[in-house]
Amino acid sequence: MAKNLSGDLSVASANRLVDGVVVFLDDAGQWTTRFERAAVARDKRGGEILLERARAEAFGVIDPFLVAVSEDDDGRIEPISLREKIRASGLTFDAIAAEAVRYA
Amino acid sequence: MPDTHFYRYDDYDRTLVGERVEQFRDQVRRRIAGELTEEQFKPLRLTNGLYLQLHAYMLRIAIPYGTLSSRQLRKLADIARKYDRGYGHFTTRQNLQLNWIKLEDAPDALAALAEVDMHAMQTSGNCIRNVTADHYAGAAIDEIEDPRIWCEIVRQWSTLHPEFSFLPRKFKIAITGSPNDRAAVRVHDIGLRLWANEAGDVGFEVIVGGGLGRTPMIGKTLREFLPRDELLAYLEATLRVYNRYGRRDNLYKARIKILVHEIGAEKMREEVEAEYAAIKDGALKLPVETIEAIARQFAPPALPHRAAVVAEVEGLKLEDRDFALWLKSNVAPHRMAGYRIVTASLKPAGAPPGDASAVQMEGVADIADAYSQGEIRVSHEQNLVLPHVAVEDLPAVWRALGRLGFAEANVGKITDIIACPGLDYCALANARSIPVAQRISNHFAGLARQHDIGDLKIKISGCINACGHHHVGHIGILGVDKNGVELYQLSLGGDVDFGKTAIGAILGPAVTADKVVEAVDAMVHTYLDNRGDGERFVDTYRRIGAQPFKERVYAAV
Amino acid sequence: MPLFSETVSATILEPLPFVEWQQRPAWPAVSLANTDPVEDLAPHVGRLRLIVLNFPKFSDGRAYSQARLLRGRLGYTGELRATGGVLQDQLPFMLRCGFDSFESDQKGFEEALAKARTLFSVVYQPAEDDRATASLLRLSRRNVHPAV
Repeated sequence: MAKNLSGDLSVASANRLVDGVVVFLDDAGQWTTRFERAAVARDKRGGEILLERARAEAFGVIDPFLVAVSEDDDGRIEPISLREKIRASGLTFDAIAAEAVRYA
Repeated sequence: MPDTHFYRYDDYDRTLVGERVEQFRDQVRRRIAGELTEEQFKPLRLTNGLYLQLHAYMLRIAIPYGTLSSRQLRKLADIARKYDRGYGHFTTRQNLQLNWIKLEDAPDALAALAEVDMHAMQTSGNCIRNVTADHYAGAAIDEIEDPRIWCEIVRQWSTLHPEFSFLPRKFKIAITGSPNDRAAVRVHDIGLRLWANEAGDVGFEVIVGGGLGRTPMIGKTLREFLPRDELLAYLEATLRVYNRYGRRDNLYKARIKILVHEIGAEKMREEVEAEYAAIKDGALKLPVETIEAIARQFAPPALPHRAAVVAEVEGLKLEDRDFALWLKSNVAPHRMAGYRIVTASLKPAGAPPGDASAVQMEGVADIADAYSQGEIRVSHEQNLVLPHVAVEDLPAVWRALGRLGFAEANVGKITDIIACPGLDYCALANARSIPVAQRISNHFAGLARQHDIGDLKIKISGCINACGHHHVGHIGILGVDKNGVELYQLSLGGDVDFGKTAIGAILGPAVTADKVVEAVDAMVHTYLDNRGDGERFVDTYRRIGAQPFKERVYAAV
Repeated sequence: MPLFSETVSATILEPLPFVEWQQRPAWPAVSLANTDPVEDLAPHVGRLRLIVLNFPKFSDGRAYSQARLLRGRLGYTGELRATGGVLQDQLPFMLRCGFDSFESDQKGFEEALAKARTLFSVVYQPAEDDRATASLLRLSRRNVHPAV
């Protein structure tokens, strides 16, 4: 699958102040927990504008920043770094809780 | 419910902790209202144990000297269920971390914690952190004096210390009361070792400037023998020298170990002794009544006489191999005949090391009530300890722990892995730790094989901060990030045992995540092929050196 | 920067930076960097009426030690002022170390100062505010009620 790996695509992310949850800025300028709704900046200049918008909307979030993403042929985006993949999609193993309920 | 045999809060302690919760509640309110910036708020939340991690806030709860009552453990389970996702992570500093706390709930969670005389103060930030101790304290057969008495004295002195709350960097103190150091005192900012001199007086060896992290160092002895009642004056003198002269220009050079290294142990001793001379007869001198009043609270439980040899135990040992192995690895001698110290392994095959669900915590609390005087310890190896179990009760305890998944006979073995939370949770990490630990654990899951391999400590950190203590693992594994790929650096020969404390040596180039198991397997085979009589993995390594391990590992990966 | 003081109005003396003050040690007001040796003030503390200690950042805590040495070791009794990164949440610590006036830009600082001494009614360690520690209070309580 051909991916756009130019490194110029980005989305704006932050953690929400009240609960720390990972959020992304959407096209309407709202913070959403849904990565697939994130507004995508397509070049460096677009990234700067996106980050400015994110900072302007930063009252309820902590330290917005840009996340480099790639895009496949169907337009699906994915963070490039493992750290951001984990931030966007959660733990890479099953947390103990589900497992341990068996012992109840 | 049994009475506790360790320090109980009085109204002074309760008042202070309660006032601290209310102060933090106001700080959280001001932050959410926008009156405090994140930069201003961050050190405030950190000194209340609240971090911002990748996906959420994390609350690090102090478990002073690793000692818990069953009531406290049940409350931790409650808080995990009510304010988190029903589980927690016991750390190498005897703390409990909850991974999914909301900022807006944090004051309520802390208030709930205060109901059982606990707090999260100073579990982070550039201050004196929760003081750790031997997890066998008060039960160990080799103990000279219970180190927790001194941990509690230091806890009180260090809590909200007005002079030392903005140090150059964090400051960790550990205390052991036994010649067999189980508190790793040589790798702490200050390590204190109680010992008796020839005259029979008990005092502290004061070790300063040890630590892991980016620049691992073994601490230097500043004082061979410090009278006990002078402890706080000596600590205050040491901290004052550090606060005034410790480096603040570079985050990575700010720990006291760098100060000691740069000015030398001799000069450090002079500075500390000069400051100490000026304050030693002042208000910090501990009155004997104060020491005795705290010591009384740590008086060992009055354990009823129980049989030292029990037919049922002997029978089960012959019948059930798993039980026999469990007795060998998870059960340690107790100072009273007829009793043992039992370690509940929080490392079942393939599980995240040190994690326990609320259900499991409650289960351990029930077992402690029934069989261990209602008392539980947290070990720096991320296991739970039942300190006072009668020999007669061992089969019942083994079965009960088995129902919780905590009876794996692997304490001190290759699957008793220490691992930090790593990149799955931690904002500082460069690579994942838990999935690596899980793969190694699954690979070596068979108990007979683990017992054949014998004592082998694997310690995994997801970054150079070394929360997983990789420097002192017999096998150390350090996750690094190289151009977006997780690589793992392997080291051999680390050790925390007293007198043998050593920093492991890096074996060679780092390996990819999918090769870590092969690499560890190759090390184990090198050992098995070369071991002499009674030699542990680390002994063989010390005898034959790194080369044979290196050849085999890099042929395998 | 606005100046706040718990008690009477703070000194209006202009403090001299330490190096300049060393040339004119008769001047009763001095301002120290947090690396300046407070011990050098020992012969002069009786004459000094204002000492200003500096927090380059709120997280740089060296001046807490300077303050305690000035009060506790050198017996300085004049005004001790904190300047620089001075935030209201540090007040309980600063007051205990002997500071009694504060320069701060932070909103709400005055209200915070008014209640800073009441935030914690218990202290665990001796400092420069002469408050009785929990440990001392326990001792006296035991002496009054030996059975407890």
